[in-house]
Amino acid sequence: MKHSSYLIIGGSAAGIACAQRIKETMPSCDVTVLTDEPHLPYFRPLITYIINRKKDVSDIAMIGRGPYTCGDLNIITDCKAKSLSIDQKTVSTNKGDFGYDKLLIATGSSPNIPEELKDIRCDGIFALRKLADAQRMSQMLINARHVVMLGGGLVNLKTAFAIIEMGIKVTMIVQSLEILSQLMEPDDTSLLKNAILNSGINVITGKKAIGVISNNNSVKAVVLDDSKEIPCDIVCIGKGVKPNVEFLDNSGIYIDKGVVVDRYTQTNIADVYSAGDIAVTFNPITGQRITTALWTNAVEMGRCAGLNMIGIKTLYAGTFGIMNATQIGGIPFVSMGCVHTKDTDYEVYTHKTDASYRKIVFNKYGTRLIGAILIADITNAGIYRYLIREGKDITKIKGLLINHCIHYGHLMQLNG
Amino acid sequence: MSNPREIFVNIKRCTGCKTCEISCAVEHSKAKNLYSAISELPTPKARLSVEWHQTAGSIPVLCRQCDDAPCMHACITGAIKRDVRGAIVTDTDKCIGCWTCVMVCPFGVIGRHLQIQKAYRCDRCPDREIPACVESCPTKALVFKTVDEYSTNKRYAFVEEMSEAIKQDV
Ligand SMILES: Cc1cc2nc3c(=O)[nH]c(=O)nc-3n(C[C@H](O)[C@H](O)[C@H](O)COP(=O)(O)OP(=O)(O)OC[C@H]3O[C@@H](n4cnc5c(N)ncnc54)[C@H](O)[C@@H]3O)c2cc1C
Repeated sequence: MKHSSYLIIGGSAAGIACAQRIKETMPSCDVTVLTDEPHLPYFRPLITYIINRKKDVSDIAMIGRGPYTCGDLNIITDCKAKSLSIDQKTVSTNKGDFGYDKLLIATGSSPNIPEELKDIRCDGIFALRKLADAQRMSQMLINARHVVMLGGGLVNLKTAFAIIEMGIKVTMIVQSLEILSQLMEPDDTSLLKNAILNSGINVITGKKAIGVISNNNSVKAVVLDDSKEIPCDIVCIGKGVKPNVEFLDNSGIYIDKGVVVDRYTQTNIADVYSAGDIAVTFNPITGQRITTALWTNAVEMGRCAGLNMIGIKTLYAGTFGIMNATQIGGIPFVSMGCVHTKDTDYEVYTHKTDASYRKIVFNKYGTRLIGAILIADITNAGIYRYLIREGKDITKIKGLLINHCIHYGHLMQLNG
Repeated sequence: MSNPREIFVNIKRCTGCKTCEISCAVEHSKAKNLYSAISELPTPKARLSVEWHQTAGSIPVLCRQCDDAPCMHACITGAIKRDVRGAIVTDTDKCIGCWTCVMVCPFGVIGRHLQIQKAYRCDRCPDREIPACVESCPTKALVFKTVDEYSTNKRYAFVEEMSEAIKQDV
């Protein structure tokens, strides 16, 4: 059996950020990272650039890039954790058993597959998550004419843009009334919706796919709930993610959707920590338990876990489920904190022009900033994020926030 | 790298002339002179800005080179790193313009270059001994010193000074 002082299951955002943190502080200690993927760690959000070949595998590698400069991690690929024994402090894998002094569970999440599509076995169906998925899709796109995307979330939108840029027809089926329903309300989407329409992506809302017609292992059409059939060669499912907890069944680790951790990122078992998409974290304002699907959170939490694992007790500050920045069809936007305001008593200000949109959300007393959407002009978004996270009384600077003319100097007024 | 020099702001000395903004943009142009820089494409950008505050007056706002830089850790492409000088820099080739760094910077000092869809930020002028903004400041409101020279408390030096400037006038 191999033994490591620090064993990490999952070599992505949370796992590598944790490993880096440990190595930064204690360069000589041994850190082993297990990943079931065939590839060394890579920036997962960049796999859409693999689809349309704008980047290759070496362009998206994590090790050696950005803050990930610690060279001598022992990373074992194609190594899947099958079970965990907390008594023996070992993890069993297809490559043997691994012992640990401290363990991080950072196995992330996998795409949700709707019940009605679960049993379909056929080559052209994708739920994009891993580099290998993107490589396979890239290959299949060579001969594809029409791709149907199921779900109008961020991952599917990014993928849709990557595909339409290749000159391939894309139709997006969205069950809810509008795209991006996780990140904003229908009234907030009009600028982005226009950008999507202008790009040539065909969006069908309020419809659900109930099946796929296939022939000889290849996709022929998607069937909608109004029995309409849409002929296509590739189907891409983007319906959110669920934590990869299966291998922890009967391990004694407390699970409630994901791995539940305390405010120091430790699980209910001593010396076992968790971070990233698999971990159940909390909303710092409401205290409510949440799981997230955010690279930024996975890194922050992984770094925090790293410190705790080497004995530097560090409080994890929690996060919001929504904390996204990106660009869709040439339009930048951020969505942060509490932005779904329908039927709430929050104080909400919106401002709309032909070229920009913002929605600023305060608590019902109007004293704290709790959410913000900025579309097109995202200047100083970080100040809004800071205020949302800190939960400070913003009364003195409220007008500046509503009118979007805040700058760092104004924050001093709150702190001083 | 052990004790890098940083740009500190002496707010009371700032008159809001914005010379720093111009010299920064020129330094980050290809031509490196004002007359050609004006017509250059992509338009050279200033990486710091002088903002107005009703009680403190004009305030130069620029990258604080945070110890645990949130932008660097949040970047989803690995485009942001700390270089050998200890400065946090953005690699334009790796940047995809997703603006995650803009979302996490609590100082609001990361700019978006819309012509090229890339983020830009203060890089402490890698080709110069003294950053262009510091050298050009006519009132010495910007100074380039090591933390020890300037203050014993790096993290709060800027913040404390700023709140003091504001409090005095409240
Ligand atoms: C196309 C795309 C775009 C995205 N864009 C953004 C974005 O712009 N901003 C943002 O914040 N987030 C984005 N995300 C989400 C972000 O990638 C995830 O939140 C992040 O990767 C989570 O990191 P993690 O380390 O928790 O888990 P993961 O990245 O899921 O990594 C977990 C790793 O563990 C491995 N693993 C699982 N089970 C086992 C096992 N039993 N044994 C060994 N290894 C195992 C997995 O194969 C995987 O390699 C995007 C995701 C995708 C797919």
